[in-house]
Amino acid sequence: MPSQDAMRAPGPEASGSAGGLSRRSLLQGAATAGAAGLAATALGAVASPALALSPPGISRPPAPDQAHARGKAHAGPIVVHVRDARSGDIEVFSGTSQSRVRDKDLAARIARVIG
Amino acid sequence: MSSHREAPEISKDPVADSTDVYAFVSPDKPDTVTLIANYIPLQGPAGGPNFYEFGDDVLYEIHVDNNGDGRADISYQFRFTTHVANPDTFLYNTGPIESLNSPNWNRRQSYDVAVASGFSRRVIGTGLACPPCNIGPLSTPDYAALGAQAVHGLGGGITVFAGQRAEAFYVDLGSIFDLGDLRPFENLHATFGLPGLKAAPGVNATNHLNVHSIAIRVPISSVRRSGHPTIGVWTTASRQRVRVWDADNGENVDSGPFRQVSRLGNPLVNEVLIPLGHKDQWNSLPPSDDKRFAAYVANPGLAALLPVLYPGVFPNLAALVKSGKPRADLEAILLTGIPAGIIPGFQNFTGPVQADMLRLNTSVPPTPAGKQSIFGLLGGDAGGFPNGRRVTDDVVAIELRALAGVTYPLIDKTFKPDAAAGLLTDGLTPASVSSPPLGQFPYLGVPYSGYDNPS
Repeated sequence: MPSQDAMRAPGPEASGSAGGLSRRSLLQGAATAGAAGLAATALGAVASPALALSPPGISRPPAPDQAHARGKAHAGPIVVHVRDARSGDIEVFSGTSQSRVRDKDLAARIARVIG
Repeated sequence: MSSHREAPEISKDPVADSTDVYAFVSPDKPDTVTLIANYIPLQGPAGGPNFYEFGDDVLYEIHVDNNGDGRADISYQFRFTTHVANPDTFLYNTGPIESLNSPNWNRRQSYDVAVASGFSRRVIGTGLACPPCNIGPLSTPDYAALGAQAVHGLGGGITVFAGQRAEAFYVDLGSIFDLGDLRPFENLHATFGLPGLKAAPGVNATNHLNVHSIAIRVPISSVRRSGHPTIGVWTTASRQRVRVWDADNGENVDSGPFRQVSRLGNPLVNEVLIPLGHKDQWNSLPPSDDKRFAAYVANPGLAALLPVLYPGVFPNLAALVKSGKPRADLEAILLTGIPAGIIPGFQNFTGPVQADMLRLNTSVPPTPAGKQSIFGLLGGDAGGFPNGRRVTDDVVAIELRALAGVTYPLIDKTFKPDAAAGLLTDGLTPASVSSPPLGQFPYLGVPYSGYDNPS
């Protein structure tokens, strides 16, 4: 599971620049809210996708980009999907990886960011 | 119709919408098989200035199962990259495109090919050029030559092509989706109390339209297992789980693992047999999960509809439907393959796992052109559907006739199909396709140009 520190957003004083994870950047360009959750992206953040899931679909072999996923996972955006803020069920996407964590505190703070 | 816009979700995502799969022993190179997956349905050839192209964000795959478990043993994976030479013009091309490296071609695509098997994945081609779309006599003056240049040999006896082609699937969409009307028989249609119709010739709704094709020709020895000549073939398209519209940069950002959004093996299965409420789910699952959908094959709704839509024409089919007996003939054709002993000298059985795959017995040699039947096995031609599928096979008529009961005597010799069942057709033939198939790889015809087919 990703460490809580790695997943924790810095304070609101941080800028929304690509180099840092802030509440503003976490939400920048991606406030996709589904019926059951919240989603957010961050650019160039530092989460660790330790629980990358393998696709359950037809291809047991990894998808093409997945072979390189661990090496470049953090080069692009990181997308956080709060599936259920109440239980803290959170999915984190980066590159072709995906992690799922349960962190009520983080989910609550993300929820507060968007009001 | 084969699988064009067949499910609610994928109909909104044409770039990832598979339309047809073909698998056949290559007629001009019978130690190989050709596998073709078509995408992006119903392309109007004049659809510029942003002409059709593959999705850079889509993972396209053609799968082969060679042990009958409905799971891929070999997957050919295709990823595309779009290149824009000059972003400061709106033009697709700034002059005639006379070769694939023409400086006049402003927006082009290339692709990489990999073969995945087990836990290994091997890249077998990179930076392979797609041809442009067929625009017209000024932009693409010799399109056939451009298409030929886009056929790439990859070594190991593998040949690939990816790009626009003429739609080879012929079907009277306009009639069939008007409450199951078949123009040649519409004088017999119930018409729901509306004024009667007169029988008429079929109209090929897909004529003069294009698709985007991914074709790969591989040695038979590389895809089949020793002692198991039949392979199962299907295609999938997958997208990453997350897409975010980056309004600042005016582009989508994709993230996460790829998940399947489109699947196609046998023609018309998801289109016609799977109920509306399950079509999207079907598209997301592997063939190995198809047991959950087997009831829709064993008791197809369309077989029950035919006697209703054409009163008095299908009394024996009506009785069969009323009996509630499962259509084991259709289950064999579509889900397991046909076992030995059913059709003399032929089988393409892959085992008991019910999985929608296009099954090709690779030991059956290609039927010479002059002896082929567009009705495939129903026409006594084991080189055609449902033993794989050739470009010219009349899969609409074959499946209509099978649904109407023509194949039920394979499992119950006491059943007598209705006379009309063996005549069912939407009135079309390969001659209904204006751009004929090629005699060589990639076999699909030259795409229609926008200039010559403006509407």
